[in-house]
Amino acid sequence: MKQITDFISRFGTSLKLDESLIIEKQGRFYLLSSKLKGSISEGFFYAGAYLGKTRHGVFFPSFSLLAMIAARKEANKVTVNERSEWLFVVGRDLFKQGILKANGSTREGTYTLVVNQHEESLGFGRIVRSLDGRGDKQRIAVRNVSDIGDFLRREKRYG
Amino acid sequence: MSGKEFFTKRYSELGWKFGPVELKQAIRINTASTSEAGLLQRLRTRGIELEPISFAPHGYWVRKSAFSVGATAEYLLGYYSIQEAAAQIPATLLTELRNKVVLDACAAPGGKTVQLADLMHNTGVIIALDVEKRRLTALSNHLERCHIKNTVVYQKDARRASDLKIKFDRILLDVPCSGNFAADKEWFRRRTIEDVRRNAVLQREILAEAVKILKDDGEIVYSTCTLEPEENELNIDWAIEHLSLQTEPVECYGKPAPTGVFGKQLEDSIANCRRIWPELTQGFFICKLKKREGER
Repeated sequence: MKQITDFISRFGTSLKLDESLIIEKQGRFYLLSSKLKGSISEGFFYAGAYLGKTRHGVFFPSFSLLAMIAARKEANKVTVNERSEWLFVVGRDLFKQGILKANGSTREGTYTLVVNQHEESLGFGRIVRSLDGRGDKQRIAVRNVSDIGDFLRREKRYG
Repeated sequence: MSGKEFFTKRYSELGWKFGPVELKQAIRINTASTSEAGLLQRLRTRGIELEPISFAPHGYWVRKSAFSVGATAEYLLGYYSIQEAAAQIPATLLTELRNKVVLDACAAPGGKTVQLADLMHNTGVIIALDVEKRRLTALSNHLERCHIKNTVVYQKDARRASDLKIKFDRILLDVPCSGNFAADKEWFRRRTIEDVRRNAVLQREILAEAVKILKDDGEIVYSTCTLEPEENELNIDWAIEHLSLQTEPVECYGKPAPTGVFGKQLEDSIANCRRIWPELTQGFFICKLKKREGER
């Protein structure tokens, strides 16, 4: 649980998650409803809302968790234009010129969610060049860490 | 016994003249996650032309798209699923799904599971089973993409579903089947009547298990994407006789199933089932079942 809350705090926000409804299986965390919790038995493969997994001590969030964080007003997030939206989804980094708006911390080194103009979470990245000021618009500003294009990559692997 | 001539002769005996079919791609909007009108507008802006499917609520034919409809941000955000038009029908025949306990007995790759969750507005519980781990991964990815929250997935053979010790309000049996030529260009070369008979046995075992775990007032929807009567009408006729089930009338796309198959007279109520010959869609068979009154 601490890994999840620590991860969320890196976006300058927090989420109220009912710990009693979170279950862990083989390093994967799932958030259940109380009805689901009453029906689940050992040996399940997947359950409820998948929150993410830990591997070698590092937490990898699910896209459901990222969407939950993105819904928080104060969370670090950058809003991108349509062209950058698709480039980000196919795994590319963000140039400053594709960023329409930045919310929360814009400091170099911080994590930020990447959302489109509908405020929908596309993934997250790390700010590698401060988003303040006029800086070079042609250089990478946010390094892609994870994007929803991952679903397509998984479909190729698993069908 | 196999080959195109053998199988098409059987279809002819059942009243359908074989002809080649070009399947149209279809999508289904996940209305619990997004506004249908808003999504249609967004897809239109991207140059994707859609046409409503008259017999599938929230279903659309893809008329024109310059790129794959599986490669848009809206798809990756889980706002719609790519789902063959006939395959969109079975889940809609289960009634009053909200807050129910539902079994999707042969769930992977998860198109119908996501549809059930959507119809349930993410309430209640879906238990989704499949045997093969690789297919379960595909199913889980589908659930995550569409932000489904009410489902538990198990790696389990549907014939062992009673191990879970749960009684279900609704059961979807979209059983493993022999498939059909419209969805598989090599079908006639690949399939034999022995395959069909083997699948029919497996399907009967799954049906028998489902009856054990169905609540007395529960509903089963049984579906296949095969045209072979051994896996369809003949199995349902067997279930009526041996499992104390009765068919329920349904209103959906398709023709009433034949009550006479290759010289054998079946229960009249088999006509409540729907047989979909490949035309607008792939081949399909759908039947709604309940425990027989007086034996509940």
